[in-house]
Amino acid sequence: MPSVGDRALPLRIDGLSVRYGPLPAVSGLRLEVRPGEIYGLLGSNGAGKSSTLRCVVGLQTPSAGTVEIFGEDPVRRPEPARTLLGYVPESPLLFDALSPHEFLEFLAGVRRLPAELADARSRAYLAAFGIEAEAGRPLATLSLGTRQKVLLVAALLHQPPLLVLDEPFNNLDPRTVRIAKELLAAYVRDAPRGILLSTHTMEIAQALCHRIGILDEGELKAEGTYAELAAGRPGAPGGLEEVYLGVTRSEAVVRDAIRNLRGV
Amino acid sequence: MGWRAAFRLGSVAYRELSFQAIYATRQGQPLPEAAATDDLGRTAARRVRESKLLVSALLAGISAVAATALSPRVQIFLGPEVAPPLYQAAVLATALLLELSLLWTTGLQILPTFLGSRILPTLAVLPIPPADRDRVALLLFLRTFDLPALTVLLLLPLFTGIALGNAAAGLALVPGAGATVLLAFALALATGDHFVRRVQGSPTGHRATALRWGYLVLWAVPAFAIYAFVSFGPELLRALAALAATDPNGLTALLLCFPFPYALLPALAATPSAGALGLGAGATDLLLVAAAAYAGPLALVARWLLAAPGRLALAAADTDPRAPTARRLRVRPPAVAVLVKDLRIASRSPAFGYVVLLPLLEAVVLGASTFVNSPGPVTVFRLGVAAVATSALLATFFGPVFFATELMGSAYVRSLPLAPRSVVLGKTALLVAVYAASALLLVGFTAARVVAPAILLLFVLAELPALLAAGLFEMAFLFRVSVGRELGLTNLYTGARWATAAALPGLALAGGPLLLYALQPERLPGIGLMALFALGELAAVVPVARWWTRRWRR
Repeated sequence: MPSVGDRALPLRIDGLSVRYGPLPAVSGLRLEVRPGEIYGLLGSNGAGKSSTLRCVVGLQTPSAGTVEIFGEDPVRRPEPARTLLGYVPESPLLFDALSPHEFLEFLAGVRRLPAELADARSRAYLAAFGIEAEAGRPLATLSLGTRQKVLLVAALLHQPPLLVLDEPFNNLDPRTVRIAKELLAAYVRDAPRGILLSTHTMEIAQALCHRIGILDEGELKAEGTYAELAAGRPGAPGGLEEVYLGVTRSEAVVRDAIRNLRGV
Repeated sequence: MGWRAAFRLGSVAYRELSFQAIYATRQGQPLPEAAATDDLGRTAARRVRESKLLVSALLAGISAVAATALSPRVQIFLGPEVAPPLYQAAVLATALLLELSLLWTTGLQILPTFLGSRILPTLAVLPIPPADRDRVALLLFLRTFDLPALTVLLLLPLFTGIALGNAAAGLALVPGAGATVLLAFALALATGDHFVRRVQGSPTGHRATALRWGYLVLWAVPAFAIYAFVSFGPELLRALAALAATDPNGLTALLLCFPFPYALLPALAATPSAGALGLGAGATDLLLVAAAAYAGPLALVARWLLAAPGRLALAAADTDPRAPTARRLRVRPPAVAVLVKDLRIASRSPAFGYVVLLPLLEAVVLGASTFVNSPGPVTVFRLGVAAVATSALLATFFGPVFFATELMGSAYVRSLPLAPRSVVLGKTALLVAVYAASALLLVGFTAARVVAPAILLLFVLAELPALLAAGLFEMAFLFRVSVGRELGLTNLYTGARWATAAALPGLALAGGPLLLYALQPERLPGIGLMALFALGELAAVVPVARWWTRRWRR
């Protein structure tokens, strides 16, 4: 088990709690993202996924607990911690007035990337996602899917050792989802990097994530590889979806909702 | 759906618009963590009310000053050579134009929020007929300006009636006040429409950027008009008097322009003798006919206005079909990257663009005005000093607007390793650059006609540390407010409270050395003292700014 302040561990969350006034959003969360690992965080709406991710990137101050990115605390020392991560937020709300090219220039400046490297990477990623032709148009005029692609390029531009992705496949077409999945799998395979990914899409989590954590009402209810999670539930032929419903005790809720809708 | 139902739906939409005007969540701003969720809506409504009150107070101030200027005792100072009814008409026309400019400017300020709130696109998917949707949009737009518009409609006629001691004179100004409000709204929406269609979708590239800045000059005009009328008021009155004496037909033609025919009505109501204007009886009748004739185009404007807010809120930007040229990525140091990003945002946004352009336009107009009447070198130097001082104060006054760009996409930007120092320095650099560019323009205009142009350059340089101090103070203060409490400045209209709180100390810092210079009889010792004082201010502000940005880390 890595020790506290472990500089080799992409992410360590220990006893994390987040409250909105009297409302608890996350309670005593404990998890790690290991080198070479994609960790998928599953949960229903309001389960606390986005709050957790926002604490990791330093957008939110936890009520209790600690977050460490390669040993750096994003609350106490935000700049060094933020240098080590790339973030895709839940909504692609950016500078509408800037073009993707101008936005990437701003990011390259803030991240102090060498010009040649930044240019080469931006060209390569824009081409990979098929949006070179849109790179000079203001973001306000681009589709949600294209903005999402720009966010992925922005997160990858400095090739950080930790990627924090909040619903990264939202608004993307199937071809781009496939490209992004391949790219992310290779990203952690080729170097000791880590990815923390939140998603509602079970097949993506099942296919892409090395380990999965199931968050319900702010608490981590189950954690492990898909095989480990499914092993405890022999009657889970429906894959991760069945596992998820079982862990969160949602089968009865789903049955009741469908029954109540009959005849509506 | 009738107007009553549209008003009810508009009230719900207005609550959302108020919320977006303050919290801008649809522009990527995170909600303040400390605030209780139930309080957010109430806080937004209160803050929007405060802003309306502040703008209305400013409009009421213009009305009060105009009413004071109507007094014969003030006329002795401002325009003794002008016939009193003509003088009154000129004062009221100026007041109407000032109020039109202020409403137009605030309209442009709120426009990005009006469009960014995406309220109308949400309504567009509901089964509401387009005509009803347009009614909701119109009511939403009008409610944003209800108090300022009422201030113009009621206070200016009321104050005029009191000042002229004649209730009929006050009532006679109501049509002019109504026309002013109508035109201000129409101009704000028409320029906004232009913004969405031609500028928002404009691609990158030097030509497109130059074109965008060219368009932005259009938006700087209303704000600049406020300044120009205040600065050149006495000259305008003298020109009117000269025209009345030499070319009565020319004067009549000038008086036919809006809003003179309406501004003449109170004077005619108070002094019904046609000859008192200094024009023939026929000319006065012509002006009365013109006032009535303007009702036709104004009715068309009102009709256009019925559907304009709805159409604008659903308009899509014109996209250039040609693929933009591929360029290499240029990497700049963080503070410069912030500055360039802000300039790029300003070039595509009327709310920010005019702040950059206003001091530059002022420099061009005042610089050009030094050629009028061939003044001597001493006068040119004095005019140059006054213009540089005005540039400094204008840049400082509008500086807080630069911070509003920080709220766009701020949820994302706050995840970047961007030191608070870089944000504050980048925005301060923009403010100082705007001052330096306009001041250098003025030096260029006057260099050939003053005895020692280097002294004017020294004056510009002596003021520079004060501008730096003012910028650092304003930006660090707004940074502290934004991180410590709530993000308080989405635009100059709804963020008026924080903008004023930052701009007043900033103005004091920028104005201190200027005042010292004005009190000194000798030029060079004055500039020396000014520089020392400015450097002292900078030395005092730097630790405060550092403390604010260190204590309130993002």
